[in-house]
Amino acid sequence: MKAGKAGPSGPVNRSDGQNIILDSIADGVFTVDRDWRITSFNRAAETITGVLRGEAVGQLCKDVLKADICEKNCCLRTTMKTGEPIINKKIRIIDARGRKFPVSISTALLRDAKGRLLGAVETFRDISVEEDLRKAIASKYSFEDILSRNRRLLQLFDILPDVAAGGSTVLIEGESGTGKELFARAIHNLSPRKKQPFVAVNCGALPDTLLESELFGYKAGAFTDAKKDKPGRFSLAENGTLFLDEIGELTMALQVKLLRVLQEKTYEPLGATKSVEHHVRIIAATNKNLEDLVRQGRFREDLYYRINVFLISLPPLRERMEDIPLLVDSFIRRFNALQKKDIEGVAADAMSVLMDYAWPGNIRELANVIERAFILCKSGLIEKKHLPESLWTAAAAPADSRGLSLREAQAAFLTDALRENGWNRLQTARRLGVHKSTLYRRIKALGIVLPDR
Amino acid sequence: MKIALSVFKECISTVFDAADQLLILDMDNTEAPRRSTARFSGKDPASRISDLAARGINVLICGAISRPMERSIASRGVIVHSFVRGPVEDVLAAYLGNRLSLEVFSLPGCRGRGSEATSCPRQSGRRRRPMGCRMRPPQPGEQD
Repeated sequence: MKAGKAGPSGPVNRSDGQNIILDSIADGVFTVDRDWRITSFNRAAETITGVLRGEAVGQLCKDVLKADICEKNCCLRTTMKTGEPIINKKIRIIDARGRKFPVSISTALLRDAKGRLLGAVETFRDISVEEDLRKAIASKYSFEDILSRNRRLLQLFDILPDVAAGGSTVLIEGESGTGKELFARAIHNLSPRKKQPFVAVNCGALPDTLLESELFGYKAGAFTDAKKDKPGRFSLAENGTLFLDEIGELTMALQVKLLRVLQEKTYEPLGATKSVEHHVRIIAATNKNLEDLVRQGRFREDLYYRINVFLISLPPLRERMEDIPLLVDSFIRRFNALQKKDIEGVAADAMSVLMDYAWPGNIRELANVIERAFILCKSGLIEKKHLPESLWTAAAAPADSRGLSLREAQAAFLTDALRENGWNRLQTARRLGVHKSTLYRRIKALGIVLPDR
Repeated sequence: MKIALSVFKECISTVFDAADQLLILDMDNTEAPRRSTARFSGKDPASRISDLAARGINVLICGAISRPMERSIASRGVIVHSFVRGPVEDVLAAYLGNRLSLEVFSLPGCRGRGSEATSCPRQSGRRRRPMGCRMRPPQPGEQD
């Protein structure tokens, strides 16, 4: 194998046969010469890094791979120095579009037939799906894991680091399935408390008396069968974050106790004679409008203001339709990995149905619809017939009171997508994963006026 | 106005998210910019934003940067010139001479990097070798 030379004249001198072999490999592969300049770069490497072969060859490998280890702990440098290969080391790279994701890399020396050192070879594999699954199991989400192009959410991302850095109580409002716990975990994992526990409690899932002992714990002898002390969730979340989900379900009696705990920063386990000081950050969430509950006298006003230090309102999915292709793509990657399938994506007619539906169950419902489609779709694209019939009928139903806002949302989404693609309809259709004629029809139906080109 | 460049040795650090060091230029000094260096206190967006804010940075010139990090920094009114490469002095001269958009200062595949929703425009035309930020090749005797 001879290391090619790069220069302004064009790509490296490498036989087509070698490129065909390299391109047939599913993992990204590149080789470098002894000056760390890339001498070959396969198709998978182009896909993973977002850098074309013609742009990569001749460049320093660190400028192309853009990995967090390039400057201080370069694996190729280690291999070149020691002669030892490195196998499956996990690193993070940033692709040409700014996406940061984990890859697994392996390195080895490259020698010619006479054993002379030519350089080194690096293979790498995108492991973001595995990482995503691992996070799903461990619930270690960061705000980088929240997928959205929605303006409201992007604005929220901007302030999330500040919200996380402060220790204030946060109230997250949003319909069921909008990702309230995901946001709570992201805030926790972004905060200085990230190494401390994150404890979640669903206030609506337990009866009042049980919830009190769950929250504050109890002492031995507090009641029959209380044979030894049991720490409550406040104790378990000490120095960390306590996530109180469905806080609107708390009874008035427990609301009073919680208010006192928040105000005085102390609580009393059941049966205890002394108060215990706590250093717990509270993130509360509700799928109800707490202000309405306050007006109805079902939620204490003083507690409402105590927990509503910083309010995060998560939009329902029907108000962020532009995120559907992004979310669908993410679910398909996840289910492909979980179910060992190779579903390629969603057909235009199916995407059309997904975009027309109002999603009362929000992202959770969308995930379930894709999971159901995986049962029916064996390979290729998810088509309309793989989606529940209720979606088609709901999508085809005449516009009701929500129709106007949905239409507006679709029009706004399409206009944004067109603008981002320089008003190029063909490019926009490709980006959205729909056929160009579907896009043309929608532009006409929604009355979107394109600027003169 | 204060300009910060994330640097590694004499070059722009390839990945801002992993960079340690900043070179800060205070341009308010009319005679010559006052130079200082600073280290980041952490790698998460919150600590990087607060480090930049604490130093009153107006412009950041850096290498590859993750979208959330860039968004967070830009939301504070800091102008971010990202996916830049090259020797610090050349980059600085290019910035002051309004030549930072030249191909030679862009990381491969990232020239004219637009909004996140658009695909990264591909380089076309003459391909150039990067400027002189090279890693030292292994010396004889360093290998087995």
